[in-house]
Amino acid sequence: MAIYSFKGGVHPKENKELTAEKAFVELVPQGDLVYPLSQHIGKPAAPVVKKNDPVLAGQLIAQADGFISANIHSACSGKVKAIERRLNASGVPCDCIVIENDGQFTPAPGVGEKIDYSGLTSQEIIAKIKDAGIVGLGGAGFPTNVKMMPKNPEEIYHIVANGAECEPGITCDDRLMREHTDWVVEGLRIVVSLFPNAKGVIAIEDNKPEAIRIMEEAVKGDDRLSVLTLKTKYPEGGERNLVHAVTGMYMESGALPASLGVIVDNVATLAAIYRAVAYNEPIMTKGFTATGDAFNAPGNFIVRLGTSLREIADAAGGLKDGAKKLILGGPMMGPAISNLDAPLIKANNALTAMMEDEVEKAELEMNPCIRCGRCTRVCPLGLVPQQMAVACERNDIERFVKLNGADCIQCGTCSFICPAKRPLTQLFKQTKPVAMSYIRMQAQKKEV
Amino acid sequence: MEENRVFNLTSSPQLRSEHTVTSEMMNVIIALLPASVFAVFHFGLHALLVILMSIVSACLTEFVFDYIAKKPNTLTDGSAVVTGLLLALCLPPSVPLYIPYIGALFGILFSKCMFGGLGKNFMNPALAARAFLLISFGKVMTDYSTDALSGATPLAILNEGRTVNIGDMFLGLVSGHIGVSVGLLLLGGIYLIWKGTIKWLIPVSTLGSFVILMAIFGSEGLDFKYLLAELCGGGIVLGAFFMATDPVTSPMGEASQIIYGCFIGFLSMIFRTKSGMTDGTSYAIIVANMIVPLLDKYVITHPFGIGKKGQTLPVPGAETKKGLKIPMSAALLAAITLIAGVALAGANALTADRIAENALAEKLESYSSVVPDAESFSYDDGVADAIEKMSGEIYGGGSFGKAYINEAVVGTDASGNVIGYAVSATSMEGFDGEITLSVGFDTDGTVLGIEFTVINETAGMGMLATEESWKSQFAGVKTDAFILNKSGGSTAANEIDSVSGASRTSGAVVNAVNAAIDFYQNYIAA
Repeated sequence: MAIYSFKGGVHPKENKELTAEKAFVELVPQGDLVYPLSQHIGKPAAPVVKKNDPVLAGQLIAQADGFISANIHSACSGKVKAIERRLNASGVPCDCIVIENDGQFTPAPGVGEKIDYSGLTSQEIIAKIKDAGIVGLGGAGFPTNVKMMPKNPEEIYHIVANGAECEPGITCDDRLMREHTDWVVEGLRIVVSLFPNAKGVIAIEDNKPEAIRIMEEAVKGDDRLSVLTLKTKYPEGGERNLVHAVTGMYMESGALPASLGVIVDNVATLAAIYRAVAYNEPIMTKGFTATGDAFNAPGNFIVRLGTSLREIADAAGGLKDGAKKLILGGPMMGPAISNLDAPLIKANNALTAMMEDEVEKAELEMNPCIRCGRCTRVCPLGLVPQQMAVACERNDIERFVKLNGADCIQCGTCSFICPAKRPLTQLFKQTKPVAMSYIRMQAQKKEV
Repeated sequence: MEENRVFNLTSSPQLRSEHTVTSEMMNVIIALLPASVFAVFHFGLHALLVILMSIVSACLTEFVFDYIAKKPNTLTDGSAVVTGLLLALCLPPSVPLYIPYIGALFGILFSKCMFGGLGKNFMNPALAARAFLLISFGKVMTDYSTDALSGATPLAILNEGRTVNIGDMFLGLVSGHIGVSVGLLLLGGIYLIWKGTIKWLIPVSTLGSFVILMAIFGSEGLDFKYLLAELCGGGIVLGAFFMATDPVTSPMGEASQIIYGCFIGFLSMIFRTKSGMTDGTSYAIIVANMIVPLLDKYVITHPFGIGKKGQTLPVPGAETKKGLKIPMSAALLAAITLIAGVALAGANALTADRIAENALAEKLESYSSVVPDAESFSYDDGVADAIEKMSGEIYGGGSFGKAYINEAVVGTDASGNVIGYAVSATSMEGFDGEITLSVGFDTDGTVLGIEFTVINETAGMGMLATEESWKSQFAGVKTDAFILNKSGGSTAANEIDSVSGASRTSGAVVNAVNAAIDFYQNYIAA
């Protein structure tokens, strides 16, 4: 079978062997669970509980406020301890609902009951997805129900289940596909059923042969589903690259996959959709990888949303003495965090802890750019990072935009490959928002 | 547990590849090693001294500059070593050691340090050094002879229309600059492409366009052996893989890289076929370096997918077609060479015949003027074979200096009787290199006269040798060898008064004429 891929990309050390064979362990939180009201793209949710209100596991505690927003549910039973400002993982204060966990996890009525969903209409299914507060669990956090409502449902031809998991070290999607195969496959079937002309494709990198085998087994006999093997390369799971690898089509900059007749969903999102539709269960838990040399016992966990990262780190055996860096997510795109106080939110999928020597290797002194062109060759979007960086350093936004800098997805490949250790991605992260507002300003000028 | 610990906070990515500037430079050095080691065995220890001197001078210059300018020491990045090594590889093997010293000093100081050091130079320092040396020390820089080898490089021989051994050229068993082994350089280039150190599009488009253009405009056209010889000769392979790809002075975008490569290929072809130099690759690259900022500025690579939409939506059920797509880069490369090719072919077709006619006419004219009574000239098979056997070696084993016999023809009168002979001989020891002349003999071996076909001596001095009064000293003399009288006032018939102030030119002419006489006596009269 042909292995699909894209031009560019890099091969960082995969580090998957640390946790790939570690089955999910359910983590039972002991402390309070904390729910930031903003853990998705869009408007923060509006609380529907007050301090001291009793809550049950699966109960709605904050409601989607607007079209692009998402419901939030409590993952434990207990009572509302506070609604207050706390720091999120990036150190930014935001409103949070704090639930005092009574340790019972008593479910709310109806939650977790198996129901027959074969008779549900598309509208009813989408409503269930919306009620369950499901957002893109791969990291973007875009409300999934919005994605399920394109203008012309009959013009959607591909539903791509993103099981690429190209970030080094993370294995929770791999484990999910292997341990809860039916959740993913059924979730994909449900989504495919919403679109009369659609076919489902489960796209998996070829470094997960076991997941590929199990998935192929599971879709056998269903002519609307198939499995596609992708080449193991970072960032294979990036949306534009994935759509190209699967369909051969190129997404225009700023376009949504739906404009090409494609909808991309992470495998974890599909599993959540299945749980929501078949068990009436809002999104309460998440597969999560705690990995890195600095953990005593790295592994995969089923974690309740709102659990503090510290409890997860403890479950992974705690940090070793030489731990020097904590990364929320994988090492390529995840930000470093200063402490473990923050809670797990929907978009998180991994915690990576690095030892001192590894950190030193990654924080070498910067040299002058020798224009070697490696960044250009690896950029998955075919940009010229070296030129963009010059534009950034000169604060020349016009030039940055001209070089299509606004298309940068900040995947980190250019910084990764750079022999001179220049902070390319880092510069683009700073400049892209400025560039976007510049583009908007230009557009407004044109209108006037 | 981690309460009192301090964690490093950095923006992603949190991983870095193993590449460093030093490792990139090390890759280049490793790639150049086989060719350098070969050169030492092939040319002798002096080549090693040249290489070492060049590297030491480059490093020393950078070190001293950094020290004086109070800049951090940048020797450890290895770029000075690369510059030194590259410069050495494009020098003749027997140059005096001050040449690599001055060259590397100039290249590093004026083309690199002065512009801000590594990454800021606008021109390859090694090539800047070579250009500087060629202008300043033209004589030693074009003398490729060593104790073991004659000075005529295969490319020079090829330019004269004689045949060369391509296998020897590929292996490097010929005379030339220190980096003479094309095969080993190619090996190094492939290593660099495999390592990802160089932008592969540049050597491919440079060599590709060069071959295509040579096939169109070269003297032999689409002749496989000729094209191979042109590729293996001179510095085109060294330049394409190691100098055109100098990261600092080559463009970033893929389209720009192709344009840049084709530009180098185009200029190299022009310099080789139309200029007085045997090889102009180094100048081609320097000129192309100049357009790099423009290419970077105006040729902007389109990001992923832009301009590629408009594909029809796949029909459900049908396998998505991923048919063979011609890469954009290859199409661009083909288009550029095609356009340049057609344009030049047009111009060439209009002028080629006339240029060839002129050259032939000039040669015939010189024969006619030295054997004035001949009605027509023809080749003698035996004599032609004898010349063929010399295969470009120095005639007479050096007893006439660096002299060569190019051609010999038989002159006949209207009724077909042999009335004389003309021999074309070259001396490479003129004040400005090559002097080629024709010597006419009658049937008993008396020199009838001489005529120059190539002479580029100093006007008013060496060029006075072309005056009729000076040339006529040779006419009507029958001798085994002429003798140069540097003080003037000759009495004997075979004594030649030196041109005043140009004894070197005169000596070269006398040597060439004596070589022709020797050739006449041994191969024609015998």
